[in-house]
Amino acid sequence: MIAALTKSWRGWLFPVLVIAGAEIWFLFNPVLSDTLAAPSKIVSGAIETLTDGTLLKTTYQTLVAAAIGLLIGMVAGTACGILIGLARTADRLSSWSVEMLRPIPSVALIPLSLLTFGYGYRMEYAVVAWATFWPFLILTQHALKQVDVRLMEVSKLMGFGIFARIFKIMLPAAAPRLFTALRLSVGLSLVVAVTVEIAANPQGLGYGLMVSQESLRPDRMFALLIWVGLLGWALNYGLVWLEGRLFAHRAPGAVASA
Amino acid sequence: MAANPAIELKDVSLSFGSNQILTGIDMSVDPGEFVCVIGASGSGKTTLLRMIAGLLTPTTGKVFSNGKPVLKPSRHVAVVFQDYGRALLPWRRAFANVSLPLEASGMPAKDRPARIRELLAKVGLAHHEDKFPGQLSGGMQQRLQIARALAQEPDTLLMDEPFGALDAMTRQTLQDEVLRLVSERKTTVFFVTHDIEEALYLGDRVVALDSNPGRVAYDIKVPLPRPRDQLTTREHPEFLRLRREMFEIMNKIHA
Amino acid sequence: MKRFRIADIALGIAGLIVLLLLWQLVTSLELISRVFLPSPAATISALEWGLVNGDLLPQTLATVNRMIQGWLLASLVAIAIGSLIGVSPVARAYIQPTLEFLRPLPASAIIPVAISLFGLNASMVLGVVVFGAVWPTLLGTIHGFAHVEPRLVEVSRLLQMSRWEFIYKIGLPNAVPDILAGMRLSLTVALILAVVGELLTAQEGLGTAVLHAARSYRAADLYAGILLLGLIGLVSNYGLAIADKRILAWKN
Repeated sequence: MIAALTKSWRGWLFPVLVIAGAEIWFLFNPVLSDTLAAPSKIVSGAIETLTDGTLLKTTYQTLVAAAIGLLIGMVAGTACGILIGLARTADRLSSWSVEMLRPIPSVALIPLSLLTFGYGYRMEYAVVAWATFWPFLILTQHALKQVDVRLMEVSKLMGFGIFARIFKIMLPAAAPRLFTALRLSVGLSLVVAVTVEIAANPQGLGYGLMVSQESLRPDRMFALLIWVGLLGWALNYGLVWLEGRLFAHRAPGAVASA
Repeated sequence: MAANPAIELKDVSLSFGSNQILTGIDMSVDPGEFVCVIGASGSGKTTLLRMIAGLLTPTTGKVFSNGKPVLKPSRHVAVVFQDYGRALLPWRRAFANVSLPLEASGMPAKDRPARIRELLAKVGLAHHEDKFPGQLSGGMQQRLQIARALAQEPDTLLMDEPFGALDAMTRQTLQDEVLRLVSERKTTVFFVTHDIEEALYLGDRVVALDSNPGRVAYDIKVPLPRPRDQLTTREHPEFLRLRREMFEIMNKIHA
Repeated sequence: MKRFRIADIALGIAGLIVLLLLWQLVTSLELISRVFLPSPAATISALEWGLVNGDLLPQTLATVNRMIQGWLLASLVAIAIGSLIGVSPVARAYIQPTLEFLRPLPASAIIPVAISLFGLNASMVLGVVVFGAVWPTLLGTIHGFAHVEPRLVEVSRLLQMSRWEFIYKIGLPNAVPDILAGMRLSLTVALILAVVGELLTAQEGLGTAVLHAARSYRAADLYAGILLLGLIGLVSNYGLAIADKRILAWKN
């Protein structure tokens, strides 16, 4: 308990010093800066974005875009992953295509998505879905391959059909790894959504950041930046916590090694 | 006038918090002597070795090496650990693993290869200098660790259950090799084991530790002739008598 | 064993051909408008023309250059700083929580800050690439240094190695697998940020090329650019995978 407290105390010292240092620096260099803002200014900027509704609106837009894109990527990726994870032939047929398509960076699709869908949610869904499709595909495939052979034999002996085997044995057995895929992809979806908004799509937190920069409001810009960081951190932390709760009864290696 | 003892412990105790590990240890090892320490797990025999190595400081009492107090590790004292898989540098080939102490002691780079090859040949690894530890068998990895320890040219060699993880055949071969190697340089050896026969076969003296907290229970001379031999020594009446005695002592300690 | 591998390759290529045929079929039946999906043939010829007669080659090189430069710079910074933080438990206790907090931050979110500091130019893009690509390698290096086998720490104490000797003889080699894993991730991030930077600043490069192609409805050129970007990712991944295997020979 005491160890945990001192540890967290140490972890806090560095950021607190940085913030205090920045505040003092701005105190002695009170130039009206278009690029940087004192921590106290950032706090008032944050309050402003909160009261004028920018924060809530842009957060909502980004989260919706990320969530729906993620959902599409997850369904498609997991389905394909199950297919190539179970059927050896499908795996061999797709191996080269996967190797060729997977390295295409998601951001390369921003212009294509823009051309196809124009501005708005749909182009963002498409890019997020592309980005999250691959981790689901790969991790599902690996998770299924690592299901214990003995478990498969047992299910065959019990006379389960293929669907019963998938849903009663394989997916539950692969669940911890699939959850890890979800956790990684949730983070990825947020990153990609914000990136698309910064690069092209005029909505959401990314666009909010760009607007704050263009209107020379570094206080609002840093407030939104910190908010994006908090959001990513909280999502990841929450999912790690949930992972521990959900799979605590499994062998510790099952989650840790995933 | 007698020389200083190679190792001397004076009323040494060690505790972690309220947990007493070792208490009132008095022990002295003469130069060139081969002392085996036996005891059940939890008797603090490894801890004792680590204090002599200078990796741990006793809570009370003093440890001396050649008459000088041990405050930190010294290059005159080498250690061979039981877990060779962890003690070797996995990214260095056999050759470069032996090179490590030579680099640390500042031997010029041009003088090292000859010395390294000599040491590898001594432990029977002459043809394996280009292999990574992961490519060697357990016995070979332990030979490599011994070669690395010998590269330090230590006055004192501390061995912590070095053969505990090896199969019986390999263990016997390595026992004989260690006896041969240390007799060449009259190295003092402090050898920790939990195997009574191994202790009697190797040692000039066997020290038995009692546990909770660890303390010296018994200290006997082993007057068996040298060189020792796996067959004749182990069939020697004195060996059998000592083995029986030691078994009884250990049983009494752990009763 | 070998026959299986040949069969694998044959099936893999067959799968790829089926995919191309499907693409061809979709375009010849005009299931999707050619404005959005050009035929494979048109894409290939756009790629060929662009590389031989057009600007595609210099644009590709510009993007690769940006990516590699930023990545190398980021790797150097990350390994140096990561070693210093990782080797000291005290530094880790104070700094690592902050780094862990910053890690999930989308690197692209720093772009507006970089624009206001440097303006819309090439050095801003490079700065963003470096900033984003630093993280995976930095955290990998710290992790590698923090997880040295305790036995090896004892070996270094027994041999009375100096702190510096410990860093480059034990700490750094021990961290190499984590550093390489981080650098692979960093390279992917570097490519992504190089493209995003180009999209925003119109600096010469494939990002700008695909954006212009999309804006002027030159779908074949757009797909050619995307294919090239995929190829950059593919080649750099494989290159690093091979380097990995050679450097980490001791792991097998």
